[in-house]
Amino acid sequence: MLLLDIKNLTIELKTPDALVRAVDRVNLSLREGEIRGLVGESGSGKSLIAKAIVGVLNKRWQVTADRFSWRGQDLLNLSYDEQRKIIGRDIAMIYQEPSRSLDPTAAILEQLEEAVPDHLLDGPWWKRSYLRRRKAIGLLHKVGIRDHQSVLQSVPYQLSEGICQKIMIAMAIAKNPKLLIADEPTTALESTTQAQLFRLLASFNQLKGMSVLLISHELESIARYTQSLSVLYCGQLVEAGETAAILKQPYHPYTHALIKSVPEFQPNLQPKTPLYALPGSIPVLQHLPIGCRLGPRCPNARKECVKTPSLERLQNHYFSCHFPLTGKND
Amino acid sequence: MSILLEVRNLHKTYRKQAGLFRQRSICALNDVSFSLAEGKTLAIVGETGSGKSTLAKLLVGIEKPDSGEILLAGTVAKISHYRQYNHMIRFIFQDAAKSLNPHQKVGQMLDDVLRFSTVLDSHQRRQKIRMTLKQLGLLDEHSEYYPHMFSGGQLQRVALARALILDPKLLILDEALTALDPSLRAQIVNLLLDLQQKSGLAYLLITNHLRLVKHIADDLLVLHQGMTLDYGTTAQVFSHPQHDYSRKLINSLTA
Repeated sequence: MLLLDIKNLTIELKTPDALVRAVDRVNLSLREGEIRGLVGESGSGKSLIAKAIVGVLNKRWQVTADRFSWRGQDLLNLSYDEQRKIIGRDIAMIYQEPSRSLDPTAAILEQLEEAVPDHLLDGPWWKRSYLRRRKAIGLLHKVGIRDHQSVLQSVPYQLSEGICQKIMIAMAIAKNPKLLIADEPTTALESTTQAQLFRLLASFNQLKGMSVLLISHELESIARYTQSLSVLYCGQLVEAGETAAILKQPYHPYTHALIKSVPEFQPNLQPKTPLYALPGSIPVLQHLPIGCRLGPRCPNARKECVKTPSLERLQNHYFSCHFPLTGKND
Repeated sequence: MSILLEVRNLHKTYRKQAGLFRQRSICALNDVSFSLAEGKTLAIVGETGSGKSTLAKLLVGIEKPDSGEILLAGTVAKISHYRQYNHMIRFIFQDAAKSLNPHQKVGQMLDDVLRFSTVLDSHQRRQKIRMTLKQLGLLDEHSEYYPHMFSGGQLQRVALARALILDPKLLILDEALTALDPSLRAQIVNLLLDLQQKSGLAYLLITNHLRLVKHIADDLLVLHQGMTLDYGTTAQVFSHPQHDYSRKLINSLTA
């Protein structure tokens, strides 16, 4: 069964002049127990999508969708309170910079205990606070922090970025969520800690069947841990499908460029030779090109590209391009 | 190729007052030596607190080493006399948007660099600015722009222009490529490689990004708590790391 099913999600920013369309008709679906990657450069709207799913966008953003269902229930038609109830029960999110998202004035113990919901503590009321503390310690052990005593008494600035991120994960899994959204969980971390965290997320996925939506701007770091992938460019979904299939044969020129610009995916590339790069830079939101937003940078753009291509499907592989790359002309 | 920069037995210890009479000392660099030839790239990798940034600070003369020597082109240099050396060694910061003055036009900023460090007159300076901008793929009009008018990739080019306008021999990049988006990073990497081929620039790349190191660096130095763990050509260190820590670092890439 589909856990999350979003069709034509559009997120617009209200400005005095006009509505700016930051995310343009994006489809996203997640099965239970799946790890999906969401890749895109800065300004591609990946964090906006994540925030729209957890419903934390402020009033200036207008979210519309043809379908926005969570386990068969349409979220956008529910009242605010009901929305919060469902999202609060089932979805957890890890934000970009852990040391900034934690409360700088409170000890870790307080913050962790706060994240444990009441219904998970079964015991008489006089034992509640004891159970809560046991649970907090257990959570720290689960994310691989053995020295719980000193960590629990610390304040965020005393801990390293890696440990802060682990604490964020501990807080997120405290309520046994069905879906965990990790928004650039590893950008601030070192490469050894990065690998550790990805393994941690993968193990929770396997042990508890928790679905994970991994958001990142680096294709290479998340390709190894995801089963399926969605690639965004400037708020448009350019390609989606199974990770292995996309890496093997991308249909969209942007995905192709992303893969080719990473030395790791090019085993035949000699060191110190130029990398493949698209010309130009990412357009800003105020001056988005019409039609396919990759148009001005695309190596094989033609006249038809001023019309937005529709999302086409080839087996389980979706792409939106008028002139998809095939194996031959690559 | 002649050796451009040689560092011998560099030590640096920071002292911190930890009470009325007690002092705590932190050894940031312990006996670090390496050499860098013209037109080559040396990458320095290590976790936070490994002394990477201290090393960069010593090399541009912001801090003085406790002991050890820095040799530039074969002669011992007192880098902290940076008026003398700042046109040889230039530094690029992590975040171009934050390291440029928002009140200053790009042309003005580049002009200041030339005014303080060279003897060119105003006409020659303008000529030089135009040439440097062109070299980095920017337009003449861009010298009238303020930093906020540029996109991320262009800003990184402006930062490069500020570094390259004095025709340095060595460029220190402190995590300058990490924060960029992949397609921009590929562009900047291409630009750097191109510059290196044309003008024999040497790079000292301080980074966490091992995949990039593998592609663009000739030599690799692994630092851990101020100590050199592995030092050799990139291919050699990647295939036969000597220490457990470097092995862990390299395995995190491939595991």
